Amino acid sequence: MASMITKLSPMLALFAIGQTNAVEVSGHGQLQATWQHDDNRKAWYQPGWGVTRFGQAESDLALSRGVVDWRVDFDSAWSLHGVMQYVPDPDDKLGFTELYLQYRTLPKNGRRLIVRTGGFYPSFSIENPDIGWSSPYHYQYSAINAWIGEEVRVFGSEVAVEQPSTRRSRGKGYKGVAGIFKGNDPAGTLLAWRGFTVHDRQSVFNESIPFAAVESLNTPQLQHQAQYVEPFTEIDGRFGYYFGYHHDFSTRSAVNVYWYDNNGDPSKINYRTGQYAWDTKFISAAWRYKLSTQTQLLFQGMAGNTAMGTNRGVDNDFNSWFLLLTHKRNAWRFSVRAEQFKVIDKDDWQFDPNQSHGHGFTITAKYQLHSNWIVGAEWLGLTTTVANREAFNGKPKQTDSVWRLSAEYRFSL
Amino acid sequence: MQNLTLLRCLAIALVALQSSAVDALEIQVLDNDKQPLANAAVWLEGEGVAHLAPENGFKMEQKDKSFVPHILMVPTGAQVSFPNLDSILHHVYSFSPAKPFELKLYRDDPKKVLFDKAGIVELGCNIHDWMLGYIVVVDSPLFAVTDSNGYVTLDLDLGQAGALQLHVWHERFENLEQVEQHQLSGLSNTSSITYQLKQTLIAPLQDFSDGFDDY
Repeated sequence: MASMITKLSPMLALFAIGQTNAVEVSGHGQLQATWQHDDNRKAWYQPGWGVTRFGQAESDLALSRGVVDWRVDFDSAWSLHGVMQYVPDPDDKLGFTELYLQYRTLPKNGRRLIVRTGGFYPSFSIENPDIGWSSPYHYQYSAINAWIGEEVRVFGSEVAVEQPSTRRSRGKGYKGVAGIFKGNDPAGTLLAWRGFTVHDRQSVFNESIPFAAVESLNTPQLQHQAQYVEPFTEIDGRFGYYFGYHHDFSTRSAVNVYWYDNNGDPSKINYRTGQYAWDTKFISAAWRYKLSTQTQLLFQGMAGNTAMGTNRGVDNDFNSWFLLLTHKRNAWRFSVRAEQFKVIDKDDWQFDPNQSHGHGFTITAKYQLHSNWIVGAEWLGLTTTVANREAFNGKPKQTDSVWRLSAEYRFSL
Repeated sequence: MQNLTLLRCLAIALVALQSSAVDALEIQVLDNDKQPLANAAVWLEGEGVAHLAPENGFKMEQKDKSFVPHILMVPTGAQVSFPNLDSILHHVYSFSPAKPFELKLYRDDPKKVLFDKAGIVELGCNIHDWMLGYIVVVDSPLFAVTDSNGYVTLDLDLGQAGALQLHVWHERFENLEQVEQHQLSGLSNTSSITYQLKQTLIAPLQDFSDGFDDY
């Protein structure tokens, strides 16, 4: 599905150009270099049992992300949007994280219609409004959004009706969203065998993400599951759907609530790629409250279930939340985030323990040196207890301490 | 050297002569709590107010995702340019009856827009919903926006002025179309007047926007 979107995009562009002859290309880019000191465990995608990005055998200093977040406007309402990303880990990955055609009207009578078609993130993530779905607050995203960034993407169409929050409406506004999509059937695989973690590595379309050599994949019941996930692929031929609602109460307070269901048929498997359709559904709720013009509180919580196999042989509930406080003063931004996450193993396959839980605390300072340069430092303290580590090294519980210094250059197209 | 000093004296005398020949009317606008009101649009209509062909240097810039000036006053028939000083695109529109229009996504300086009908034109940007600006189009060359102390000074020859009507508008009017009007009299004896609004203003809005409000 993702590859189809990539192939279709030039056609979509030509179609949109056909609407008119005035074309405007614009956007922003970001090149981010990072030095990191951590506990030197091999990251899941290397593949290893570590739960922090880069992990072992990566150089200490790396170009951690390069991204171009662009849009091509064809006329008043039609535009094509894309985010192209490069990450060095594990093997120089370049690709699209989002690519979609958008139809967005002027707010006549105070309301507008927005239709998006392609591959994109639904707007769950109050933490990730910056360039290419990054966070202006921390370098590493919360467990919720790290998971969305690696395993959740929709390939389909979304329709939204919005009454925008404006100064004239005194900040009041709302948006109702509904979407249907294909792809995204294996979402939930990493939660089952690695658990939640905190990082900033977004997956690109068509990506295959390895994870540690979990012992239970050697059993007859799980022998067809590959030791990697292709999160955006279509396995069962069924449509998934989601609904969302955003409400801006005032200039200070806004919420959103989403229900996502990939409507996966857990009995379906692609034997060639070793990928199951997981029946994954969750509710996500987010709240932003501005304590002052400089200080904000952000909260997001998620709860859901994911299952695979004919009789839901792997069946897990999961939940997580974070609370984030950020303060901006002149060129400085200081942010702290506390979070918890949990995967609860509900099935009776004793040979495949999926339960995991943990908590994290992140503290970050960013400084805008210049209109193009931002530098910053971050410390992440992460404690994770993952049951299937018992078979690996007898130690389900692990603590990680990650120090990170990043410098990023931003540019406009 | 002496010639230069002489010339300078002559120039100062000429300026002094000119300024004494032009009369001006100072108007202070108060809200209905008798507090000075900044950013109120004030204009005079009536006899003896010549309607000259409008100049065309009017500009409504977009800078740092704001309209600059926030309130621009122009006479009817004025052409206004909308230069974009930001590195991002803007998409300016108005649904106001006085001038509905749309400037599709652009950088730099799109074509000028003609404002040929008096009224309040509310501007928005389709990309940045938080942007808000106003163009107040008036049938008069005598207009100004009040300063932080609520004052405007309008140049007019009070000796020749006939019956004049004072018009006042503010963006915190509940109904944007409800411009206040007041008949001026006895202007020949004074060069300064105070006007207090009749309507109650809606509360000022504290701006919490930070560029990350779209999620």
